Amino acid sequence: MPEQPARDEDLVRRYLSGDRAAFAALVERHERRVYNLALRMTGREEDARDATQDAFLTVLRKLSSFRGEAAFTTWLHRVTVNACYDLLRKRQRAPLLGRGDDDLPAMEPPPAPDPADDSSLSLDVQQALMQVPEDFRAVMILHDVHDLRQEEVAAILGVPIGTVKSRLHRGRVALARAMGLSRDEPAKGEPADAPGTSEGTVSP
Amino acid sequence: MTHPDDLLADYVDGTLDEPRRADVDAHLHGCARCREEVRLAGAAEASLVELEDVPVPFGVTGPVVVEAGKRFEQRGKAWDRFRWAAGLAAAAALVLVVALNLGRGDQQNAAQPASASAGAGAAGGAAEAGAAADSNVPFLGVERQPNVSYDDAGIQALAVDASRAVASAEKAEGQPLAGAAVSPPPTPKSAEERFASAPRPRQCIEQSGLPTDSPRDVLVRLVEAKFEDQPAYIAVFAESPGAGQPADHVIVWAVSSQDCRILSTASQRVGQA
Repeated sequence: MPEQPARDEDLVRRYLSGDRAAFAALVERHERRVYNLALRMTGREEDARDATQDAFLTVLRKLSSFRGEAAFTTWLHRVTVNACYDLLRKRQRAPLLGRGDDDLPAMEPPPAPDPADDSSLSLDVQQALMQVPEDFRAVMILHDVHDLRQEEVAAILGVPIGTVKSRLHRGRVALARAMGLSRDEPAKGEPADAPGTSEGTVSP
Repeated sequence: MTHPDDLLADYVDGTLDEPRRADVDAHLHGCARCREEVRLAGAAEASLVELEDVPVPFGVTGPVVVEAGKRFEQRGKAWDRFRWAAGLAAAAALVLVVALNLGRGDQQNAAQPASASAGAGAAGGAAEAGAAADSNVPFLGVERQPNVSYDDAGIQALAVDASRAVASAEKAEGQPLAGAAVSPPPTPKSAEERFASAPRPRQCIEQSGLPTDSPRDVLVRLVEAKFEDQPAYIAVFAESPGAGQPADHVIVWAVSSQDCRILSTASQRVGQA
């Protein structure tokens, strides 16, 4: 018999009513998007793996409270971005030097080269992305890489659309400068050219 | 000079309407800062668009799916305790399900040969169904429907059919038996005995986490077919709420016959169909 692909919201309902396979179907459908968002946000495969697992575990834990007010994909993106923020904060808090634990390398290697994107261009873009503050990075990745509309990005991040527009533009300019595309080095400390620091996390 | 910063993202995206685009163009003509920003933002956007997805490494999401399964099992256990709390199912009534099934020849290809042994009276109606009640509940064994693919609506229909049959047979139970002379061949009563004739489905259904030896539920049908085009066992149980009470639920499980995962489930309260 002909089959329509189930809507995400229907898969959620089916899982909650006891259909174990429905959650696996949700994961299979979205894992690539979640993983790639996490990879661009964190810049490291190891962190992207952790953030992907954290995001799906959060979804699993909170699935019963998912009321369908937002689209499932909006919620999933929000959970993923927050998982990335959490990981990035943990990484910042961890002392870079004197990390004495025997089970950890004394120094983390530099950001791992992206295994599937071996062109130097994408490496440069990824490295430059990591120099842009994460709130701006998130907007660029969601809009320019994942091709989500500004309205969707605003819903995911819980910010007004004007904030999305402004972060998008400032983030792009900062990214281009980090890639060395600037004709003239900007004056140091010029406020309009330097996106500010992170404005905090997205409410879950 | 006031810079149109709030418009530059849309300008680079090419989504500004014409009047505002003209305004920005006019501003850019006289503003080197904004011209440079638009050039940089355009270059950045072009680089970002070119970034390609990478495949998810092996093993990233597997543990999450396993975790989801564990939660399912925990929830299933609590649900089982609730549902199979007490009592023996009134297995008797279910013979009528078989009678109904025999009447629907199109999908029941495997059931037809079995109808001979189920007795001539099997299709006769509720009274005879009641006759078999106490000691013998005919069971057709594994019904093979290799070319039938069920979906959620399909297994729900199985549940509804079975619940209707249970309701009719419960009504008929205890009435004088018109067909008392007809004695169907003895058949096993408990789900455990019934599964004994189908070791592979039993193993798979046990592996999926479903009970195959509960004295409180009765296996009504066991169909080997497909569920959403995956080879599957479809098990139909009638369940009783408590000691001596008639079955009040029919529950249908579809379990993959390849990896024994539960694919879906449906249930129907008896008397509400």
